[in-house]
Amino acid sequence: MAAEDLPSQFDVVILGTGLTESVIAAACSRVGQSVLHLDRRNYYAGNWASFTFNGLLSWIEEYKNQQELQITESEQEWRSLIEDGEEAVPLNSVDSSISNLEVFCYASEEEEQEEETKDLLTCPNAETVSEETNSDSTETQDTVTSDDVTESNVKVQNEENEDSAPKEQLHASDISEHSQSVEEKQPNRSPADPPAELQKKITYQKLLKEGRRFNIDLVSKLMYSRGALVDLLIKSNVSRYAEFKNIGRILTCRNGKVEQVPCSRADVFASKQLTVVEKRMLMKFLTFCLDFEQHPEEYQDYSEKPFSEFLKNKKLTENLQDFVLLSIAMVTQQTLTEEGLKATQHFLRCLGRYGNTPFLFPLYGLGEIPQCFCRMCAVFGGIYCLRHSVQCLVVDKESNKVKAVIDTRGQKIGCSHFVVEDSYIREEQRESIDYRQISRAVLITDRSVLPSESDQQISLVTVPPVESSGPAVRMVELCSSSMTCMPGTCLVHLTCSSSGTAQQDLAPVVSQLFHIPTTPGEDPSEGTGEISKPAVLWVMYFNMRDTSAMDSSCYSLPSNVHVCTGPDAGLGSDYSIKLAESVFHCLLPDEEFCPPAPNPEDIIYDGDAPQAEGRGFDESNDTEANKSQAEEEGTTNETNPENSEAAEMDSVAQETTLDTNPPSEE
Amino acid sequence: MSRKKALKGKGSSNTPNSSPSAEKEKGKKVSSQANGVVHPSRPSLSNSGEFYDIAFKVMLVGDSGVGKTCLLVRFKDGAFLAGSFISTVGIDFRNKVLSIDSMRVKLQIWDTAGQERFRSVTHAYYRDAHALLLLYDVTNKSSFDNIQAWLTEIHEFAQQNVVIMLLGNKADATHERIVKREEGEKLAKEFGVPFMETSAKTGLNVELAFTAVAKELKHRELKEPNEPKFQLQEYVNKEMKGVGCCRS
Ligand SMILES: Nc1nc2c(ncn2[C@@H]2O[C@H](COP(=O)(O)OP(=O)(O)O)[C@@H](O)[C@H]2O)c(=O)[nH]1
Ligand SMILES: [Mg+2]
Repeated sequence: MAAEDLPSQFDVVILGTGLTESVIAAACSRVGQSVLHLDRRNYYAGNWASFTFNGLLSWIEEYKNQQELQITESEQEWRSLIEDGEEAVPLNSVDSSISNLEVFCYASEEEEQEEETKDLLTCPNAETVSEETNSDSTETQDTVTSDDVTESNVKVQNEENEDSAPKEQLHASDISEHSQSVEEKQPNRSPADPPAELQKKITYQKLLKEGRRFNIDLVSKLMYSRGALVDLLIKSNVSRYAEFKNIGRILTCRNGKVEQVPCSRADVFASKQLTVVEKRMLMKFLTFCLDFEQHPEEYQDYSEKPFSEFLKNKKLTENLQDFVLLSIAMVTQQTLTEEGLKATQHFLRCLGRYGNTPFLFPLYGLGEIPQCFCRMCAVFGGIYCLRHSVQCLVVDKESNKVKAVIDTRGQKIGCSHFVVEDSYIREEQRESIDYRQISRAVLITDRSVLPSESDQQISLVTVPPVESSGPAVRMVELCSSSMTCMPGTCLVHLTCSSSGTAQQDLAPVVSQLFHIPTTPGEDPSEGTGEISKPAVLWVMYFNMRDTSAMDSSCYSLPSNVHVCTGPDAGLGSDYSIKLAESVFHCLLPDEEFCPPAPNPEDIIYDGDAPQAEGRGFDESNDTEANKSQAEEEGTTNETNPENSEAAEMDSVAQETTLDTNPPSEE
Repeated sequence: MSRKKALKGKGSSNTPNSSPSAEKEKGKKVSSQANGVVHPSRPSLSNSGEFYDIAFKVMLVGDSGVGKTCLLVRFKDGAFLAGSFISTVGIDFRNKVLSIDSMRVKLQIWDTAGQERFRSVTHAYYRDAHALLLLYDVTNKSSFDNIQAWLTEIHEFAQQNVVIMLLGNKADATHERIVKREEGEKLAKEFGVPFMETSAKTGLNVELAFTAVAKELKHRELKEPNEPKFQLQEYVNKEMKGVGCCRS
């Protein structure tokens, strides 16, 4: 917390903590480069961030204020730091990558008296939270501290149901009280028989009060279980900092009806929507796709033609064509055959690594992942500074290279390389502009679009265009066990490439799949068809700039400045990981990209070798144990999906690291 | 590797947690925290070859320079590292198995990796801590004043039932002391957390801080319905050594 000065020289200064920049930071630090990693915001991950509900409201507020803000420049301050032979290149001080933000609340604003008594016990620390939420200040203000409560603190934590806890003790014990009641509630929930208390409507007050249980991502992506991100997490050992849940099912929406997509062998055979003939047809086709390269004669004639035509030619029923195109290959009508086949193959290869679908999702949201890479960077000595930016670059005129940056405190910091996220670059430094937009909607709903035995599943829903001209929309529905929303709600992310504003693009899909109350808290009327749809409690629309089409030729910047474009519209993160790797190789052509970090137990604290390497993982016994454990769990996956995937990830992580990184001698 | 993986309670059949009530307790944890990997039949071996029954994750927090890294190294290796190089090498986490009432409790202790220096600890760091040791430096007033700010951050991002303990470190530095012991006690009372003074240099109360946390966590995890509650602060008060009676 101290306002120390930063060192005056680094190998690499990195501005922006999005996924790409964070991976580069970890990679550089890992091989011994000194790294300074900055972000102008007070949170990690930039446009990749996730927020608590209250945090998101602050983010929205900030966006609104920024729209009104007049930028006043105070360039003179740093002018004096520019010496002869140097030139200053100023950076952007505002971010304009978010636009068209709209928020609508449909949750009832009223307080529910009956619940109030309960919530008294569950309200978080009054002092720290009530300011932001403005919600429970009235009923918590009188929870004064009495001097003798300290002793009772731990006792209350052990109490099963201390309803009789004197009110004065709340302050001292609120943390434990809270967790008690919350833990009690959650396991009780089952779709068949929700306790009366939970059937009650969730009010806006409740969303605020439970706001910290939300982790709402700005970017919605899943991780292909054999994609570049998972491979990198495993290879680098950064996966030790995160936990994952597998996506339980893939759904699609056809003729207004939500149904499950059969994609694994088991699914295909269990499917009730498919005829026996269709089942055989699909299995045969998918088996072909797995090694389609071996049978060029099958698709040669279609190499110039769309995948959709190829599917037609393969005599798949319309039903199946839609499934394969939209939900398995996840490509458009126009995508060429070979690309479609590759996408199908990738999907199939990812199946079964960690579960029934090819996808994983990080607990607590995607925003965890950049933070994990930042930690890895810090562990190897990288220095972190949020709320801290760069005003301008100092370019050596003769060599046309950046030699230093001037930070927002006016300190001149030398560096050999500068890595920066696109939104910090001014228009003057752009040669050409190729922006696209991503349309996003974030919904909090009261239940799943397709209720099933287990209400704790993550679903990927592919929604074909509502009108034939519109974009295909990708929807991810998260449940509370993914640690991204409060129990009794679902967090729904919609994403598509923009053709209009986010609201124009996505509102039709929202009203197709969800009930939108006309007045907050209103119930759908019987017999309208609305009754079967989940109700929207809260929704936010916004557009995010998609800069992924830009490359270095789009910027006029010194050669040792490396610009990282932001998240793309795709489902996976491969684009951002590949970009990080290529920037890293540009910086350090001879170094390995993210070699496995040693076991922390093996780092030796020795003045002579501060960066002592560990001996790798001498854990061959563990691996076997883990492996069989994973196998066991893989087969009994159904009942307890939350737990098995993490264990499997473990086993694969160890397998991989052990294979690629034999123990080196000490 | 998943961070929760190695941390789950591992009840071998002869430990108390195979009792029905303990099973229930675990089931509860699984669904509420999504982290309950429970393998009742598998005994566990730590890296160093030590078996353990149950494992927890403990995070160190507090201002830069208060002695977090030294406290960790002192506890794990019994050594005191003076000088500056230690801050240049990030410590990720270290494991230590303690024997608590004939049970082997593994603590996995995480350091901030220096990200606290400019107040940039990732939210991810707090996510699944079972316990947090919150440190200030008795020779540094501002590290004491910042405790409130750290608690705010903890309340926002840590699990709600996390065990918190306040530690006033560098108790050996009698001449430079600025924060009185009573002030620490008062603050701890205000926030309802247990408190003690420690010294990573002399080792004062270092074992005790971690042992007390391990006892509390173990007790919670294996709670028997009729068992008397474990009184963390009482235990600490009883076992704690004052600065005077120790070596300083
Ligand atoms: N006298 C004294 N010095 C300590 C103690 N603990 C740590 N230090 C010193 O305080 C400085 C900072 O310690 P460090 O563990 O790096 O703090 P951190 O930033 O919180 O991890 C180092 O110079 C240590 O030698 C202690 O208990 N007593
Ligand atoms: Mg440290």
